[in-house]
Amino acid sequence: MNEILAIAGGTWRRILRMRAVYFLILCVMVLIASAINYDVLSLDHHKDLMIDFSLVLNTLAVVLIVISVTFEIPVELREGVASTLLSKPLGRTHYLVGKALGTSITGLIISAIIIAGFFIIFNFAFGERISMAMLQSHVLVALSVIPMSAMAVFFSVIIPEMITPIVTAIAIWFAFSTSALANVKILYGGILPALDLYNFKSFAVYGEKINWDYIGLSILWGLAFSTFALSLASLIFRQKDIK
Amino acid sequence: MSEYVISTENLSKTYGFLFWKKEKPSLDKLTLKIPKGVVFGFLGPNGAGKTTTIKLFMDLIKPSSGTVSILGKPAGDIEVKRKIGFLPDAPAFSQYLKAYEFLMICAKLLRIPSSERKKRIEEVLAKVKMTEYAKSKLGGFSRGMLQRIGIAQAMLNKPEILILDEPLTGLDPHGRQELKDIIIAQKKAGTNVFFSSHILSDVETMCDQIGILHRGKLLCHGELNSLLSEKGCRVMIAAGKEDIAKELMPDSIKSHKLNNGGWELEFDEDEKFKEKLNLMKEKEGNFITIMPSTENLETFFFRTIENNIKTVNLNAEGI
Repeated sequence: MNEILAIAGGTWRRILRMRAVYFLILCVMVLIASAINYDVLSLDHHKDLMIDFSLVLNTLAVVLIVISVTFEIPVELREGVASTLLSKPLGRTHYLVGKALGTSITGLIISAIIIAGFFIIFNFAFGERISMAMLQSHVLVALSVIPMSAMAVFFSVIIPEMITPIVTAIAIWFAFSTSALANVKILYGGILPALDLYNFKSFAVYGEKINWDYIGLSILWGLAFSTFALSLASLIFRQKDIK
Repeated sequence: MSEYVISTENLSKTYGFLFWKKEKPSLDKLTLKIPKGVVFGFLGPNGAGKTTTIKLFMDLIKPSSGTVSILGKPAGDIEVKRKIGFLPDAPAFSQYLKAYEFLMICAKLLRIPSSERKKRIEEVLAKVKMTEYAKSKLGGFSRGMLQRIGIAQAMLNKPEILILDEPLTGLDPHGRQELKDIIIAQKKAGTNVFFSSHILSDVETMCDQIGILHRGKLLCHGELNSLLSEKGCRVMIAAGKEDIAKELMPDSIKSHKLNNGGWELEFDEDEKFKEKLNLMKEKEGNFITIMPSTENLETFFFRTIENNIKTVNLNAEGI
């Protein structure tokens, strides 16, 4: 476990030291706050708009954090950083799990910052405290980072470096559209996660509470998918020649 | 426990996959046994297969055929990896990390007890003279500084075997000398050292055993002294007397040159060499010195490689 945490630590240090991450958080906050100006355009539904904005932007931020790992792993493999790490008593599976864990933890941290920022902005703008449904919806968005990270690690290992981020982004878009693309789902037969499970925007907007059991099951489903994706990635990665 | 620290048996590696497989193997049936307590120099021109061999030792790449065993266990065994210190060719580390942070990650991966980590990191940083850069980011380091950090991480676990891929490359003369001192100190401390290098003079001064690899094939390996010391004899005679030697042993003289007022003649050793020397003496040959003729590593290296090229060419021509 220590080895996995050491690799994860390297990943979250890298992401949290990127200035772009703080710029991203700032942009997200500004955009959430900007919803207050859409009172006319939204026929006084600017409060709902802000909730919607916050969830969309939180998701987008998490996706960008996840995509960053699709750059990190191929670069480490190409530049020889991975060979130094893998020459230590570290299994290849541990390396991949560490990367997924590091990305997930960072995604959760960034998401938590965005949620806190949104709550402050919301309270300041409307003088109201956020509802439980809003909190639960945001928690689900934050938790979606777990299967997304596993998916990003999987693609980083199996496809060429140049197209990994694009393929991952497309796959995430598909995965968020599992309801809309219900007929297509059979084509990818569960290889992509059903990220729609984490999308509860309407519940947040209309204040409908989500069952905590559902959230618990979503976490378990995310972990099960991650185990599957990382096992598959590990199977391939173990046979791979490291530069 | 195996008597060899590193042992390979018909180890081959051909890069590529299925239809994209290269025609020629990068490493061809390497059989190598390295005993305990030696500094082993692995030599060969670029593309000879040195780095491929080292990566096979570290289980970073998979062999096409054959076996590798390190300390009696297969390459890649987690317990064995804990006893190895490895410096890759052109070391690259995460640029956003500080030197101390990187070494801390390595210490965790090596499962060094948390109470010892800090002390051990400080020790290795001092050994490679990088203490003042502990809090600097690796992204700003020069090649030589990265090489030092690479050596530091390789020594962090007090390894039983140090495997160094081109450790002297990128270092200035001062740094090279320091690294040579470190390697010699490691050897004295009982560490087995395996390293590849292009710098033959350094290999000659540090190694007990060498192996020469060319085009994926091991051309020779063994004790450095025995490989270099079995070639003929050098005789110094007074000026004007070289005609006697030429007359007596026309086929045996490898070279002759005027040196410090006398002639230095180099002979190939043969069965009747001593007999011929006595004949020379009888014919007024005025010897100054007789000494065994040893090749230096550079001459030996080039001769071995050239012989291999000639053999390969002859084979290709079907002669």
